[in-house]
Amino acid sequence: MRNKSIEEINEKIVDGSVHVVTADKMSEIVSELGVEEAAKEVDVVTTGTFGPMCSSGVFINFGHADPPIKMKRVWLNDVEAYTGIAAVDAYLGATQPSEDKGAEYGGGYVIEDLVAGKPIEMKAIGYGTDCYPRKEIGTTITLEDLNQAMMLNPRNSSQRYVVATNSTDRTLYTYMGTLLPNYRNANYCGAGALSPLFNDPDFETIGVGTRIFLSGAGGYVIGEGTQHNPVNSFGTLMVAGNLKEMSAEFLKGATFYGYGVTLYVGIGIPIPVLNEGIARKTGISDGDIVTEVLDYGVSRRDRPVLRRVTYEELKSGLIEIEGKEVPTSPLSSFYMASKIAAELKRGLEAGKFLLSLPVERLPTDTVFKPMKQTKELPLVKDVMTREVKTISERASIGDAAKLIMETQITHIPVISKESKLVGIVTAWDISTAVAKRHEDLAEIMTRKVMTADPEEPLELVIRKLEKYNISALPVIDKDRKVIGMITSDEISKLIGKRGKWQWRLRI
Amino acid sequence: MKLLLRRFSSRLHETPYTAEVILETGAKINIDRANVDAVRADLIIDVPEDKVERVAALFREKGVEVRKLVKLIAWDETRCVHCGACISVCPTGVFKFDPSWNISVEEEKCVRCEVCVKACPLGALACVE
Repeated sequence: MRNKSIEEINEKIVDGSVHVVTADKMSEIVSELGVEEAAKEVDVVTTGTFGPMCSSGVFINFGHADPPIKMKRVWLNDVEAYTGIAAVDAYLGATQPSEDKGAEYGGGYVIEDLVAGKPIEMKAIGYGTDCYPRKEIGTTITLEDLNQAMMLNPRNSSQRYVVATNSTDRTLYTYMGTLLPNYRNANYCGAGALSPLFNDPDFETIGVGTRIFLSGAGGYVIGEGTQHNPVNSFGTLMVAGNLKEMSAEFLKGATFYGYGVTLYVGIGIPIPVLNEGIARKTGISDGDIVTEVLDYGVSRRDRPVLRRVTYEELKSGLIEIEGKEVPTSPLSSFYMASKIAAELKRGLEAGKFLLSLPVERLPTDTVFKPMKQTKELPLVKDVMTREVKTISERASIGDAAKLIMETQITHIPVISKESKLVGIVTAWDISTAVAKRHEDLAEIMTRKVMTADPEEPLELVIRKLEKYNISALPVIDKDRKVIGMITSDEISKLIGKRGKWQWRLRI
Repeated sequence: MKLLLRRFSSRLHETPYTAEVILETGAKINIDRANVDAVRADLIIDVPEDKVERVAALFREKGVEVRKLVKLIAWDETRCVHCGACISVCPTGVFKFDPSWNISVEEEKCVRCEVCVKACPLGALACVE
C-alpha cells in the first residue's frame, strides 16, 4: 500500500471525505479486514482518556492593579498559587489544598470553577518595592477577567497505570482510591484500548506540536511528560491549551480521601493512519494491554508485584489475586473516554479539527530514575534494642508483673512454645488484669500486635507509632521470632543526636 | 422497605425488643447495620413490604424511634463522571456498569455503610437521612 501523508488526510478533512473511527472500533476493523485493508480504509483513529491527572495546572496573568503589586503570595478561593515568577503571573496547581477547607477543596476545584464561569475570590500580598509599592490586594475575578489562563500540565495521559490492592488488615486511603483490607478490592486507571499512547507506542505521530483535544479545547503536546518512561510502557505527555476555550464537562475537581485534591482531565489524540504499521498498532485491544498488580500495603517505592493482568481482565470486574476473586474498579472513566474519542471524531468529520505533523519526535529511550538520596536513612535495625525480654503465653499474670517490675520494661512480647510472637502485654494490661481478677496471661494479652521489620526505614515505624497511638513495637524476623524492640523512647533519644543522622524528625 | 430504628433509653437494651417484634409479627427481618454507642443505638432493618406498618407501629409502642428510609444513598448524577470507584468498595453490589460504561445504581441493595461516600472522588454520593 502507498503511504498517506498528513497533508492528504487534512485535505480529506477539509472536503469532508475523511474516514475516522474511534480506537475501540479500530481493533474490530483490523481483526475483520486485516492490517492492509484497514490501513487503506481508515484515515484517522481517535483516542480518548478521562481520569485524575495530578500533574496539571494553569498559568494565570491577572493584569496590574493600581497602585501595582508584585505578588509574594496569592490565593484563589483560599487556594495558594505559585508566584515565584513575574509580578502578576502565577501557577495554580491541581493538587494544592485549600487553606481553610483542606482537601475538600483545592486547585482542581478552582480550575473547574473558573471554567464554569464562577466568580473567584482573589487575595494577594506583595513585597512592596519602588516599582510595585502595593503590599496587599483583595478582589473578585472570573476567567474572563484574566489576561491569560493557559493550562500547562507537566504530566498527563500516562500510557498505563499499575493496579493497586492491599494485603494488610487495615483500609488504606491512597491516590489509587480506597483499598479495602485483605485484597478485598483492586483499583486501576487508564483507558485501555482507547488510551492515546497505547495506540502510538513508538511515538510515530504523537510528538512536540501534535494537536490534541484538551478538556473541550484544542491543545498541543509540548514535550515529553515528567517521568516519561517509554522503555517500560510508561510514556507520558506534557500538554498545553487555552483554559478559556475549555469546557467544565471535561474538567472536574476531585478529592481522593486521605490523599488529597486532584483534577480529572480529558485528553483525546487523533492518530493519522499513515501506513500499515500504524494501522496494526492502532488495532490494539484491551486483551493486548498488560499491567501489574501491586501491593500498596507495602509503603516502599518498590512495591511487590503480585501478578500481571490485562485490561480485558480488569474490565471484566473481577480478577484473581492470591487465590481470591477480587472486584475491580477503574478510577478513570471509560464512558467519558469514549465520549472524548467520539467528540474528536465528529470534529474531524465536520472539518473543524486539522491534524499537525510533530515538529520534533519524543524520546523513546528514556527511563524513570529513582531519587538520588545522599543522606543516610536510619533503619529499624540501627536503633532497635536487641536484648529483649519475652514471656511465655502459658505464664501467669504474676510472672509477667514480676518481669515488668524487675526489668522496668513496660511492653513484654508474649511468645509461643515455638518462640513465635503471639501477643504483647503491658504494665497497663497487668493493672487491668489485677482489677478484674484474671489469672492467665493468655486471657489479657493483646493478640493483634503491630510489628516492625528490621529492614524497615525508621520513618515508617514512626508513622505507625503515631497513627495507632502506641509506644513500642516488637521487631520480628520472617519466622515471627522476636529479634528486637523499638520504642518511642529510643526514637526520642535519636532525635537528640540529630547531627549523627543529619536528618529531621517531625515529632 | 428499610427502617431506621433509634433508641436512646439505655434501659431498653435490656429487653430483647427486636426479637419480640419478630415473634409478634412473624416478619422476616434482616438487620443490615447496627451502631451502638454510649448514647444511642441505630439499627437499619429490612422488612417485607406487607409487614412494614405493623412492624413500625410495634417498635414505636416499645419506645423506639422509627423512620422509613426512602433515600438510602443519594447519587448526584450531574456530578458523577461514571469512573466506577464506588463499584469495588461496595459490599452489596449497589453499583454496576451498564453496557455503555454508565453507572447504574440499585439503591434497594444499600446497607448505608457509607464506604462509597469516601471512595467517590467527585463527591457525588451521600447518605442522607
